[in-house]
Amino acid sequence: MVDLLIGIFLATLITALFTARLYRLLMWYSLNSLSLGLLALTIGRAQHDGAMIISGLITLLLKAGAIPWILKRLSQRFGLVRQITPNIRIQYAIMLVPAILVFTFYLAEPISHMVEGNANYVAISISSLFLALLLMMEHNNIAPKIVGFLSMENALFLLGTTATGGMPMLVELGIFFDLLMAIVVINLLMRREEMENSGEAGA
Amino acid sequence: MMVALLLLPALVMFAASFLHTPRARRLLPISSVAILIPVGILFLHAKPWSIWGDYLVADDLNSYVLLVSSVVGIGVTLALLTLDRHVAITEVSTRRFYRFFALFWIGLILSILANHMGIYWIGLEMATLSTVYMIKTNRSAAAHKEAWNYMIVGAIAISLVLFGIILIYASAKPILGEEAMLFDALLAKAHAIPSPFLFEMGFALATVGMFVKMGFFPMNLWLANIERASFYPVAALFSGILESAVIVGFFRFSTVARAVNEAHLVGFVVAYTLLTIFIVAFLIYRAKDFMRLFSLSGIEHMALIALFWVGGGTFAALLHFGAHAFLKPALFLSTGVLESSGRYHIAGALKGYRGVRGKLFYFLVSLFLLAIVSLPPSPMFFSELYGFGAMVDAAESSHHLLAMIGATLLLLILLSVIFYRFVAIYQSMKYEGEAAERPVYAAEVAALAIFAVGLLALITPAAMHFLRSIA
Repeated sequence: MVDLLIGIFLATLITALFTARLYRLLMWYSLNSLSLGLLALTIGRAQHDGAMIISGLITLLLKAGAIPWILKRLSQRFGLVRQITPNIRIQYAIMLVPAILVFTFYLAEPISHMVEGNANYVAISISSLFLALLLMMEHNNIAPKIVGFLSMENALFLLGTTATGGMPMLVELGIFFDLLMAIVVINLLMRREEMENSGEAGA
Repeated sequence: MMVALLLLPALVMFAASFLHTPRARRLLPISSVAILIPVGILFLHAKPWSIWGDYLVADDLNSYVLLVSSVVGIGVTLALLTLDRHVAITEVSTRRFYRFFALFWIGLILSILANHMGIYWIGLEMATLSTVYMIKTNRSAAAHKEAWNYMIVGAIAISLVLFGIILIYASAKPILGEEAMLFDALLAKAHAIPSPFLFEMGFALATVGMFVKMGFFPMNLWLANIERASFYPVAALFSGILESAVIVGFFRFSTVARAVNEAHLVGFVVAYTLLTIFIVAFLIYRAKDFMRLFSLSGIEHMALIALFWVGGGTFAALLHFGAHAFLKPALFLSTGVLESSGRYHIAGALKGYRGVRGKLFYFLVSLFLLAIVSLPPSPMFFSELYGFGAMVDAAESSHHLLAMIGATLLLLILLSVIFYRFVAIYQSMKYEGEAAERPVYAAEVAALAIFAVGLLALITPAAMHFLRSIA
């Protein structure tokens, strides 16, 4: 089950890299968060770890539900550009993604015997981090950059869950709080974006 | 109780930012002065002092950093009173600036006092996010672009720090459990960490994140562009408070890393800081406006602090840190006056200041400019003297004497390039260009005077003795 959920996590992130429409990108982010939340619930249940179950539930509510919905509302309210063509052409991206995966598995090799859980999970977390960075880099528009930032946070959550068996509850809650604050700041920044891009509304 | 006392001034500032009366603004400097009361209590108490369990623990190092940051906060709130006379800012934006400044303060108090890596990161992230809106109070297109830049690059930097923290936690969790998040527990068991490689990988990533946040290689122009685009108090807050919180984190992480493998720590940090100073020295040489000049100089000084700290010059690093924390905000706030109403010229920038306030402003800016290039009796003169001395001492006891002396010589050459540029700029400000009468307000002169007093306090025997005791 854990393998399946991590596979879905990685697959949704890779698909998000090739997406050229904003709402679809938000959907992939939502699915990415959904698989992460379910993963935390599965591991939490297996380890009888109440804190991880709570983290999983918050992930489901906040990242899989509330944040994509808020971002969609914000994009409608401020008339953000919905056609988000990546700067990196698909044929190059197809080569780049496996290269990143191979590189991170190679990078994680020396630490495979040092982590408590499956070392491949750590490799996938690190590769997700790089893929999220790639998502931020390959777009000029603000919305995909925000999704990249949120995906990076998901990758770190995955790393925390798989490499350490879950971070302390206080840290998890603090990260969620910061995430909410990031959404408030993004909202404030978008008000200005609306003024700058008023000509782009309805695109 | 102590946590509430420490956070109360920031909470008062946050609440006052919602009041629509102009009198509320007068409350803001008072609230920032009020933080000196709990900080004073920290100094009176025996240390280490658990303020909030194992999460927030006051020791001499973070009490010192908090005191310096509080004084900087007082200076900045004073200068904020006259911000609208130098730049175009609306009442709503000013109130929002204070609101986010209060959140910024809360984040930084948590970060500075944190004994817990997670709390440290949460505070730093909170401060980073609140700064984004402070950059945006300038309603220019450039500031808007830089606010997004800060959001994105800042998020990447802070994510690298969290990435590093997770790996460090994973490396020590088998022996410490959840206590692997505590700096003091990590330090106590540093020799027993079962996977030092994992720890070092985490340390390297966290350090790169912190260094990027301070504008080190490869993001040397990142902060300079942001500070150029935003209003001058933002730059003062960055250099005087935010960077202080980042460097405290570096001090904490590197202390543990030293116990794990000192040679790796020194090699990594010396190479990184040398590369940064090498690039920054040439960027300073080509800087054509005050903001970029001071911003790049800030990177150089933060690199020197990191270098002195790992090179064995703990006292020098702390002295340099205090001097930089007072000098750089003072210079950024002065820039607001020097560039008032969009005036960007270096030539003749110091001309035209008349009356007692004008003359005092002229004197203080000259003092800060000469102090930042380490002319004696600037605290930076002593810190560099002790810092380089400590590096040579450390090299003598290692197998890398020639490499360390070579690095020190290279550094001295690069510092002379910076020295030359600053002196040339000072002369241009003083002797070239046309004189035109320019206003200086009492609040900003008072802010600069506070920084000057702080600077003088650093070279008193009592302060030096205290810093040596931390080392």
